Amino acid sequence: MSHLLSFALCLTGFTALAFATNRQQRDIFGRLLRPSTTYVHRMVSACALVFALGILVARQGWSLGLVMFSGHATIAAGIVFCALIGRARTFGRKLL
Amino acid sequence: MKTDNDVQVAGRGIRQSMSSLHTWAGLLLGWILYAMFLTGTVSYFKDELSQWMRPELPRLSQIPDQAVVAQRIADELSDIAPGTSQWSIRLPDARNNSVYAFWRTPAGNPGGRGFGEANFDPATGQRVTSRGTLGGEFFYRFHFQFHYMPVVWGRWLAGAAAMFMLVAIVSGVITHKKIFVDFFTFRWGKGQRSWLDAHNAFSVFGLPFHFMITYTGLVTMMALYMPWGERVAFKNPAEQQQLNAELSAFIQPGKPSGQKVPLASVEDMVRQAQERWGRDNVGRVNAVHPGDAAARVAVTRGEAGRVSMSPQYMEFEGTTGKLLAVREDVGAAAETRGVLYALHLGRFGDTVTRWLYFLVSFMGTAMVGSGLVMWTVKRRQKLPDPDRPYFGFRLVERLNIASIAGLSIAMTAFLWANRLLPHPLEGRANWEIDLFFIVWAFTLLHALVRPAKSAWVEQLWAASALLFLLPVLNAVTTQRPLWHSLAEGDWVFAGVDIMCWALAALHAVLAIRTARQETRSQFRRKTSREAPTAVASGGAAG
Amino acid sequence: MNALIHRLRATGPLISRIVAALFGGYAVAALSSVAVLALPMTKPQAVLTGMLASFAIYAGAVIWVFAVRSALKAWAGLIVVAVPLSLAAWSVS
Repeated sequence: MSHLLSFALCLTGFTALAFATNRQQRDIFGRLLRPSTTYVHRMVSACALVFALGILVARQGWSLGLVMFSGHATIAAGIVFCALIGRARTFGRKLL
Repeated sequence: MKTDNDVQVAGRGIRQSMSSLHTWAGLLLGWILYAMFLTGTVSYFKDELSQWMRPELPRLSQIPDQAVVAQRIADELSDIAPGTSQWSIRLPDARNNSVYAFWRTPAGNPGGRGFGEANFDPATGQRVTSRGTLGGEFFYRFHFQFHYMPVVWGRWLAGAAAMFMLVAIVSGVITHKKIFVDFFTFRWGKGQRSWLDAHNAFSVFGLPFHFMITYTGLVTMMALYMPWGERVAFKNPAEQQQLNAELSAFIQPGKPSGQKVPLASVEDMVRQAQERWGRDNVGRVNAVHPGDAAARVAVTRGEAGRVSMSPQYMEFEGTTGKLLAVREDVGAAAETRGVLYALHLGRFGDTVTRWLYFLVSFMGTAMVGSGLVMWTVKRRQKLPDPDRPYFGFRLVERLNIASIAGLSIAMTAFLWANRLLPHPLEGRANWEIDLFFIVWAFTLLHALVRPAKSAWVEQLWAASALLFLLPVLNAVTTQRPLWHSLAEGDWVFAGVDIMCWALAALHAVLAIRTARQETRSQFRRKTSREAPTAVASGGAAG
Repeated sequence: MNALIHRLRATGPLISRIVAALFGGYAVAALSSVAVLALPMTKPQAVLTGMLASFAIYAGAVIWVFAVRSALKAWAGLIVVAVPLSLAAWSVS
């Protein structure tokens, strides 16, 4: 259960982090978001990741928790990364 | 003494030289690295695979009492290996339904490897009567010492490959610093450079893992690769022993007294360890000079629940069963090594953690594979005559096919051999391994005689078909088909069957994509002539 | 003959760098793993520290060899590091 929750939080965290970057904002929304919105995204991202780590460390202890967090974060970041690439590709094709 | 070349190097800048270093360090031992990565990835489930490869052994619905089992196997070993100077028993746990033990055989024994090994049935204490097989252990051993060569050579080769990998990772990071400054803003090619995209994605998000697994891989065998400090520091065996005690729970045999005294109750010793570490968390029982008055027994803590391989054990006097010492701490450097070692093996975690390890490690495999393929993809565009490439290009192209698609076929063939070879066969376990290599050699032959694209597609389809049919073969040749495993809740057997289908699907997708790419690359060749800048930018990004 | 010399001049520095990376790098790593013994630690801990760090040093040396401007500079860098390490290693052996 703690695994599922932290994975969901990691996914949220990296999605928010992606939305906080100018390039993704331009690609996805076609314009830059307001600095305050970007800031909120960045904070949400940081909080989600810290919470994910916190849950695992509370349940499993520091050593196991850190390893598990690294695993979840890696997979989550990979999924967000691939989703962005996939989106850019379908979008790119439409332009052609 | 500046030569033209040096001026060129300086002119091209550090980024370019790091890029070249990344390319060549990655390529030279890339095929070995790929094989190490894939067999290593599979090894995260080596215990499960071993269970699957011994279908006669019943599933353990619950872990038997380790203390009782330990006594049972110890009794059996005193029959099998009387007078041995040392034996070691790995007790059954949630992932192992058999007990593995090894024992030293007297020196000068004919055919002597110096030790014997066997798997035992925890319920009866007898040797398992299942088919002869090395099980998942084969992939595990192959991934750091290969086969058909002296173990030390294999380990040096693995070390060299890991060192190249480490250099490839560091130089890759220096070349592509920008990716890390702006993780999600990295500019990927839109549909054209799919291999580059794939390679980048696999590398970037798995980077901490890739770095960790490479470095810790070197650490697992560091005493072999860097023995110099040890050689200078330790002048006598006693000092050497101080170091060994920091690394392993194998207590030194010392001198036997020559006086026969039976071993005290091993069950009681394991009982004490269970009280300390938990009922199912005893790892091994190691004994030196069992049956002698000088006997000592070490009961070690299991791997679960702690990220460290540093030795933790209780040492008992063999003849009386008196607790001599409890050892739970080692020095800081030794503990660092223990943690790194454990991180590499990943045996401490629960099932979810193991799957995370497997998935990220699989990405590492894909990173090496996509990198190898990219070497040819990039150079194909620049070939003067695409129909008749130069020798080096052809060599890399063919080796890629056999070492990537061919390895999938060979590994699956190993599992097929496990189900198809007759049971009473002399050296059956070795035959399985021989077949693995024979099939692998055939894939290389096939890759050499067929046109490259056809070879890729045919081999990927072959791998897909073999993987897809493996659960069917399992259903026909054993009493444990998929529906039965699912109904029983036997997730080891069901898991292997379902994973085979998932991997079959993956290979089919790759086969279809590769077959389709033919037309696309021809298209690209045409367009690249019109727009040479596109190719140039593609080359620079590598 | 001239062609051979020309080829040597062209590929020589690269080969020199490769040798420096493979063997020079290993030598520096090995020396450092011995030099650690001079640190105030117990012998087993020092030996293990040396082993653990040696691969990072090896990798760093390889990167250095290929990052600097000339093959000569690459060798010079390795030697500059190797000298104090050798002294430290010699002091403990």
